[in-house]
Amino acid sequence: MIMAMVIDIEFIAHILNSTFRLMTPILFVALGSALCNRVFIFNIGLEGMMLTGAFFAIVANYYTHSVIISLLAAMFSAGLVAWVAGIFMVKFKGAMLVVGISVNILMLGATTFLMQIIFGVKGAFVDTSLVSIPKVNVEFLRNVPFFYTLLGSLTYLDYFAVVLAVILYYYMFRTVSGFRLRSIGFNKEAANSIGINADRIQIGAITFSGILSGLGGALLSMGAVTMFIQNITSGRGFMAMAAGALGSAHPIGVVFASTFFGLAQTLSNIFDTQIISSEFMKAIPYLATIVALGIFNYTKIKRGGRINNI
Amino acid sequence: MFLRMENIYKKYGSLYANKDVGLTLKKGEILALVGENGAGKTTIMKVLYGLVKPDSGDIFINDKKVDITNPRAAIKHGIGMVQQHFMLFDEFTVMENIVYGREPRGKLFFDVKKAKQDVINLGKKYELPLDPDRGLNGMPVGLKQRVEILKVLYQDTDIIIFDEPTAVLTPQEVTELLKTMKSLAAIGKSIILITHKLNEVMEVADRALVMREGEKVGDVLVKDTSIKELSYLMVGRHIPNRKVPKVKVGQTVFETKNLSIVKKDVAILDDVSINVKRGEIVGIAGVSGNGQSELVEAVFGLKKSTSGNVIINGVDVTNTTIHNVRDNGVALVPEDRNIHGSAAMATLTENSIMGYYHLDGFSKYGVIDYKASEEFTKELINEFDVASSSTKQLMNSLSGGNVQKLILAREINHKSPFLIVAEPTRGVDIGAMEFIHKELIQKRTNGDGVLLISSELTEILDLSDRIYVIFEGQIKGEFTRENATKEEIGFLMLGGNSIE
Ligand SMILES: Nc1ncnc2c1ncn2[C@@H]1O[C@H](COP(=O)(O)OP(=O)(O)OP(=O)(O)O)[C@@H](O)[C@H]1O
Ligand SMILES: [Mg+2]
Repeated sequence: MIMAMVIDIEFIAHILNSTFRLMTPILFVALGSALCNRVFIFNIGLEGMMLTGAFFAIVANYYTHSVIISLLAAMFSAGLVAWVAGIFMVKFKGAMLVVGISVNILMLGATTFLMQIIFGVKGAFVDTSLVSIPKVNVEFLRNVPFFYTLLGSLTYLDYFAVVLAVILYYYMFRTVSGFRLRSIGFNKEAANSIGINADRIQIGAITFSGILSGLGGALLSMGAVTMFIQNITSGRGFMAMAAGALGSAHPIGVVFASTFFGLAQTLSNIFDTQIISSEFMKAIPYLATIVALGIFNYTKIKRGGRINNI
Repeated sequence: MFLRMENIYKKYGSLYANKDVGLTLKKGEILALVGENGAGKTTIMKVLYGLVKPDSGDIFINDKKVDITNPRAAIKHGIGMVQQHFMLFDEFTVMENIVYGREPRGKLFFDVKKAKQDVINLGKKYELPLDPDRGLNGMPVGLKQRVEILKVLYQDTDIIIFDEPTAVLTPQEVTELLKTMKSLAAIGKSIILITHKLNEVMEVADRALVMREGEKVGDVLVKDTSIKELSYLMVGRHIPNRKVPKVKVGQTVFETKNLSIVKKDVAILDDVSINVKRGEIVGIAGVSGNGQSELVEAVFGLKKSTSGNVIINGVDVTNTTIHNVRDNGVALVPEDRNIHGSAAMATLTENSIMGYYHLDGFSKYGVIDYKASEEFTKELINEFDVASSSTKQLMNSLSGGNVQKLILAREINHKSPFLIVAEPTRGVDIGAMEFIHKELIQKRTNGDGVLLISSELTEILDLSDRIYVIFEGQIKGEFTRENATKEEIGFLMLGGNSIE
């Protein structure tokens, strides 16, 4: 009886830990998506930007064996892609959906192709020389199994994701710059009429969302595992967009929404390995996305609000 | 001389919006800018405020040449503008709207406390009090405009441009605004006022600048001129007095029976029973915001009514589709020309056939006949004298009054037996106003019914064969052309009860 209790508590700690680890990559991207939503940009290219970050983190890792340089490479590459996409969306008034989907298709192709050119492999690339993002040491908790499991194998970047959400909250709702950022989403013309350069703010937000996606991507390829797999993001960027909308583009709301998706993935993993192994279980996170968005929009419409993404 | 603009040229395609326009302004002076729709008034002011780049021309402030390439630069030189359409954030508070672009900040954060105090002080200084924490959503137009004015004053501007500020205000709000302008001028601010209402010019302005087809055609001191002379300068002809021929009234074409809209236990429309017969213009007099918009929306199917019926030509169309209402013979010129009346990013042709594109002559087997539609558009433009350069032009490149003219042209031209017009002459010049009134009378004389909704009491009195007065969603009285008096209608409009 007591044994079962211990196992149960351990199990819960394990679920929470896994939820957190699966949540953070989504959170980075979802925060970026929230920023874009605030300036009335529907950035569907986040998936591709995340993939870009995941890939170039490994490339830089391979050549330099430096975590810092790998992370910088991820942020820079994804930020650059986002900046170009932003120019197309805002300056050239390209349809956001078209630009975003182009980014996704292009970056999926480009990373797959470059993987063959640079590493000479197909499908997946692993190398013992690759370094991973350092984990926070929890040896001192060894005697407290619950916390040892709960906080085990987490990287500094995982914690930073939550800190970043809090920083972004203060940025959005307390600073002048955040105030202006939010204004753009409400009425771009009014912003321009007082001489605020709305285009620049929009492109800036898209670029920053790219930088964040890059970090999220790096966390995928250098966090729990250190490797690059073709299409390693497999829809996490889209899930992050859903989390951005579900969290009402509010940084703290986005943390909760991302947690929900982290949990969905954890459950899918557990069922997959322990109870029934089927393709259906893999679909859980995606199903959860659709159902959650559906319920969210339905209640929003009921309350008389408007759906303002797209 | 405080401000001087010289030789301003601005061409759109082959059309000169401004042609060699010059302008001067003294400190503390109120300058009125008048002219027909499309004369180039908004354009020259947008040049001054840095929203439009002129092809050539110079601007001097205190005899020093200045370069105004964007609103930031204009504000830096002390120029502010209250535009024709409000430039406000409905989601923000009064304070946030006013300090926008020049927010006080502490070390790191937006200093909300100081901002609120600044707004309160500003309100006190100019005697335009406003609650800084109030949200803008649902705020009356007059107060929104006050936010706009304080926003401009907050930027420490010496020159304030108002582009048709009174078009959307109630008479009381207009009186108040004119008073504000005078007191601003008295403390040394210079004001440029664009308006189509010449009585306002006579009341507040020191000088009037008249424009026609992009050029300056007159610069007169108000004390030396008259409404008659100004209107002659504007349109280049005398406006004739209107004659309304007598016609025989026919069958009822439109009727509402006990129509009500109740929202959260409040009746926005309360048991309204009115009718319009063929050969009649029926006016709805009332201060705007007393249920007029809801009446139109309920009739047209834009809003569901809670109870009661709408009957067109004997057919009950209560709470059916807009399509059905239109097909039963109703045409509509809505109050808001930009939201319900037209599509800003569509061409003039597309706007001209909107609502009727499925009819014979405009499409066949679901394919739009653009050639025929274009011909039709050209006819409308000619007939209603819409200032434009091509039928492929986008609607949002037309001047405010010309948008209104094209919508009217479209709705009148479809020969439906019943027409609803809401605020048909808002923002149009006196020449066009005369023309629109003539068209409405013509339609009625041809044996159609017209329901006229207007917050301009003179317009109602001039045109209507019968008048209903609306107050807080209720019909408070009914008059015929013969027994209508301005005094009694005005009394009922403000909530007085009928003296019988
Ligand atoms: N962006 C644009 N593209 C093309 N033509 C334009 C554009 N802006 C203005 N015009 C044209 O320039 C002319 C002058 O327009 P403007 O808005 O200055 O007129 P206005 O005097 O303010 O008229 P209103 O009294 O109707 O507001 C109009 O014929 C208009 O169609
Ligand atoms: Mg204008």
